Amino acid sequence: MSHDLLNVYNLTVNAGNFSLKNINFSMQPGDYAIILGPTGCGKTVFLESIAGLRELKKGALYLNGKEITHLPPERRYLGFAYQDSLLYPFMSVKENILFGARARRMAGDPVILHRMEQLAEAMHISHLLDRFPRFLSGGERQRVSLARAILTRPPLLLLDEPLSALDQRTRHAMQDLLREIHAAEGLGIIHVTHDFSEALQLGRSMLILYDGQVEQAGDPLDIFYHPATEFVARFLHGENLIPGKIRGRDGKQWFKLSGSDFLLGPLPECTMESLSGSGKTSTLFIRAGSIRLSKAGEAPDDANSWTALIKNYVIDSTHVDVYCNGNGSWQASLSLAEWQELAFKRGERVRLTVSPEHFHIIPQ
Amino acid sequence: MVNSRINILQGIFLFVFILFTVFMVIMLGGLLFYVEWSDFLSVIKNPEFRFAVVFTLWTSLLATLMAAVTAVPCSFILSRYNFPGKVLIDTLMDIPIVLPPLVSGLALLILLGPILGNALVQLGLEVVFSARGVVVAQWFIATPFAIKTFKQAFDGIDPRLENVARTLGYSPAEVFLRVTMPLAKGGILSGLTMTWSRALGEFGATAMLAGITRMKTETLSVAIFLNMTIGDMQFAIATAVIMLMVALILMSVIKVFTATGVRL
Repeated sequence: MSHDLLNVYNLTVNAGNFSLKNINFSMQPGDYAIILGPTGCGKTVFLESIAGLRELKKGALYLNGKEITHLPPERRYLGFAYQDSLLYPFMSVKENILFGARARRMAGDPVILHRMEQLAEAMHISHLLDRFPRFLSGGERQRVSLARAILTRPPLLLLDEPLSALDQRTRHAMQDLLREIHAAEGLGIIHVTHDFSEALQLGRSMLILYDGQVEQAGDPLDIFYHPATEFVARFLHGENLIPGKIRGRDGKQWFKLSGSDFLLGPLPECTMESLSGSGKTSTLFIRAGSIRLSKAGEAPDDANSWTALIKNYVIDSTHVDVYCNGNGSWQASLSLAEWQELAFKRGERVRLTVSPEHFHIIPQ
Repeated sequence: MVNSRINILQGIFLFVFILFTVFMVIMLGGLLFYVEWSDFLSVIKNPEFRFAVVFTLWTSLLATLMAAVTAVPCSFILSRYNFPGKVLIDTLMDIPIVLPPLVSGLALLILLGPILGNALVQLGLEVVFSARGVVVAQWFIATPFAIKTFKQAFDGIDPRLENVARTLGYSPAEVFLRVTMPLAKGGILSGLTMTWSRALGEFGATAMLAGITRMKTETLSVAIFLNMTIGDMQFAIATAVIMLMVALILMSVIKVFTATGVRL
């Protein structure tokens, strides 16, 4: 426990008609944790509970091994920035940034003033220090808000959807800035978002909340390819969720698609650990990017390679989503270069191939 | 067809708007037209008038200060907290607004006379039929206006601005002083102006609690009433004109505090 930056044990919080239930969470010093979930799942309540802004019904919080469960927010010394920056309109940018230092009677300290100038330079807001918030753009306001939150070097920075109110270009710039701050300051960050691509780009660990409970926690990429529940798979835009049953054959486990005799497999051993065996109704999960598309050729269908017809396709800026019919409905994904090279057409017969290590079973 | 209906509606609205504006201008203009300006200066020099102006100013300012001290905590609690009976208490605090001032004055008279009168006299704080009674009556009538406007000001503040200040190291009391009050400043100033204007013009409750005694509990409103009853119309009208001017200035100040892009 003493090696962790933050430990959350059985956190239970009531917020009106909503409640967070028995949340357990921990993060290492310098970690960048993402809290992901749909609107209303309790992400902000979770963050505010860590900051001490919510009364806990049950549970305990430890920061650097010291219990902070009953400490008021002003004695936790955590940085906090909300989605809409929330600068004080009656203060200049400089006064906003120094506001936390003023609380600790440090606003006149040369070390703090130097730190403020360094942060302003790093965040490209040096020329804005004497302006008032109403004259700043959304991105500028958010940078000031970040500078204000980290001025006094908090061990943990809590960010509540800090990028969701920004346009795409500003959001990318802010993501770069967050990465730089995280690397330069070495502080832990908990970043709440409902945008999975943002989570993948920034997070080192991830917690997915749904209806006030932890749905899954772990490495972002691992969760991306191995969602624990159908909710997580669908929330993370899981493309191929195929209902069926586990079947035993030749001493191995295979997946039989519902309504057909088509078998996929053998299933990886690790996938089967959580399942109690054959005959169980389950969902097979395959990422679109894990399905390889090629010209149909003359080869017959085998276990993990079968033919299908291209029903539709959608060209995006980086890839092409291809929708096929054959032993069920499938979605594959190709890079733009592959798509141009293969020059598929709507209605064309193609071959779909999946390597068994890309099969992931979600128990029902 | 739809456009012609809208035009008819706009025409009706414009007609009512102009009619009422003309009515207000004629009514107030009539007051100004009726005043004998030669008498106006003599009224201003009249010791009774001067007493009434000074008395009204200090009593109403003191009542406004007391109303602010009462309204800030009450309105903050009503704005920030939910508790059983909140709607009932909120309504209770509004009662002086809807109750005829005479009834409010009667209730105050019973409370501070038969019920608490003796205790207050022993403490040297006699209220009934005294200048204190004027302040208490003005305070009682004006405070609900302060509570209402202050509450609106507090309601308009995003509580997350206060949350951020807590995480930056400020205690709840410091947050209130350094964040909440500066953010509510505009609403509070307009509320204070409205409260003061209400206290300035108070008559009914003052008459019931403090009585109508010349040169003792004589506010400007009381002065108008007293001089009307003895037939000194010029004194009454001159006083009314001065109160009208004060009201116009106060209302303009309120509008400047509460609105942006005001056109005078």
